[in-house]
Amino acid sequence: MKTQILTKRYINGLWIILILLMIPLYRVIGQDRTADINIEFHEDDEIKLITATIMETFGDSLGAPVPDLDVYFYVERTFNPLPIGDIFNTTDEEGKVTIEFPADLPGDSLGNVNLIVKIQESDEFADAEISRVINWGVPLEMDDRDSRRSLWAAGANAPIPLMILVNSLILIVWSIIIYMVYELYKISKM
Amino acid sequence: MSEVLTKIESIDLPDKSLKEIQDDLIWHIPVRTRTFKLWMIFLIIILLIGTFAYYRQLRYGLIVTAMRDYTSWGIYISNFVFYVALSLVGSLVSSILRLSNAKWATPLNRISEMVAVAAIICASIIIVVDMGRPDRFMYLFLYGRIQSPIVWDVIIIATYLVISFLLLYIPLLPDIALLRDRLKNIPRWQQKFYRIIALNWRHKPEQYKSIKKISGILMIMVIPVAFAIHTITSWLFATTWRPGWDSTNLGPYFVSGAFMLGCAGIIIAMYFIQKYLKLKEYITQKHFDNMGKLLVLLSLVYLYFNINEYLGPSFKMVGVEGEHITELFTGSYAPMYWFVQIIGLILPILILLFRRMRTPFPMLIISLLVIVGAWLKRFLIVIPSLQHPYLPIQDVDESYMHYIPTWEEWAINSANVAGVLLIITILIKLFPAIPVWEVAEEKGLKKH
Repeated sequence: MKTQILTKRYINGLWIILILLMIPLYRVIGQDRTADINIEFHEDDEIKLITATIMETFGDSLGAPVPDLDVYFYVERTFNPLPIGDIFNTTDEEGKVTIEFPADLPGDSLGNVNLIVKIQESDEFADAEISRVINWGVPLEMDDRDSRRSLWAAGANAPIPLMILVNSLILIVWSIIIYMVYELYKISKM
Repeated sequence: MSEVLTKIESIDLPDKSLKEIQDDLIWHIPVRTRTFKLWMIFLIIILLIGTFAYYRQLRYGLIVTAMRDYTSWGIYISNFVFYVALSLVGSLVSSILRLSNAKWATPLNRISEMVAVAAIICASIIIVVDMGRPDRFMYLFLYGRIQSPIVWDVIIIATYLVISFLLLYIPLLPDIALLRDRLKNIPRWQQKFYRIIALNWRHKPEQYKSIKKISGILMIMVIPVAFAIHTITSWLFATTWRPGWDSTNLGPYFVSGAFMLGCAGIIIAMYFIQKYLKLKEYITQKHFDNMGKLLVLLSLVYLYFNINEYLGPSFKMVGVEGEHITELFTGSYAPMYWFVQIIGLILPILILLFRRMRTPFPMLIISLLVIVGAWLKRFLIVIPSLQHPYLPIQDVDESYMHYIPTWEEWAINSANVAGVLLIITILIKLFPAIPVWEVAEEKGLKKH
């Protein structure tokens, strides 16, 4: 019996895979427009607002505002960036979207946070990103308990009275032991 | 305590010449009896089985033991605490009794020092056996935190080991010189060994003066070090947040238990040494009688601390602490707990109150009960507490909830016990079990 490698079912499968691969390719090719992100910060009665304005760009020149575009806001953290705002933050007719900055977000020791605003995975616009440092975070008081001298700190940070006590005891007892060994040496020479 | 001890009068030694006393106390050294050989073979076989079990532990890791995340200290640590406790007997007899002017205990000095040295050596060994990575032992010194009681314990054990050795060795010097000069029918290596370790001892008055001076310093110094070693061992537990260990009573509780156990240990050693070395004239009925009284006194002190240790928590029965107490009083550890308290503690006190019971054989049996009770007590201190953590693990494996030691653990522990007996046997075989020169001096046969 003749072996048939390229069966009809197999060829159909290959077509499906090819079409599935084309979808993300189409999405990337489809993102042929570019946009500029501009951020403004407003502080009003302890409410902190961030407004991002999205304008279409043509080379170096700015075009019209971009409405109905999802914009993503993040604050940089130690590991992954933390999303802030609503789940979807969509621009209005003027290409603007405003979100409230959380009041309790820790910053660095001075309260600085790095805000990142992104256009990502849009059907029409290429990914874009902008970041700004703003002094809106809660200043972080560094927990220096580990670096203070204590019973639970690292060996290098042992309490000084404990070190003096333990080392003195060791020194006293072992000095007596060494003295006794010396006496034994003297006995052997008598 | 010292008042009680000083009232116990000095014991008459046999009316013999110096040479006769010397002969009585060293006759056994060149002799190799059949019993001795069989005893040594028996101990070596146990040691070899233990060595094989330890090889398996090194090869496959601590998984060959029954220790898991909950019971992370098993019978190795029970044995460790037991031996540290036993080693305190050196300071009890050689130092506390001597400083209390209890001259009757002179013949027991060396036995207690030998037991102490053997116990502390084996305590040091078993603690290394308990380590998953013994090759990293030196890290304790290189990277240890001075705040950790484990580091204090390592330091104090090393110190006590050296002090115990000196406490045995220094008063032994005149007797080693005696063996060097008197024993001619022994192998050459043994003659050479005595010659080297005798440190050129010539029985000169200034040499005697010198060893008396350093023995005096040692006698005083060993007391705080002995208290420290067992108190720090108790702090290994007291500073760990577990039910049953969270107690301010633990230091004196451990120390008093150690003295009781050590006293029983000496009585057992006295019995066999008196019997096999034919020393009935030196270790007399009076010695057994006095040691019996001492055991009662020490047991009463330990009973007092036991009541303190259990009354408070059992009255309150708070949370996990209550679970732990219930487990001991009526749970799966109850038979062991009540054996320890009744057979191993209360019964010996009651029996030893009778003079007729303070004779060698009944005292041997009672001391064996005390020793068994004392070992089980260390088991009860270590294991049930670990099985009731304050922060239990979710969906914990069933095997974590119980601890039944594996054959490897029993074999290694038995080898450790055999190790203590082997060291004591070798020391007794090499040196007089009773200090010849001190006995002679006490009889006024030799003035230095």
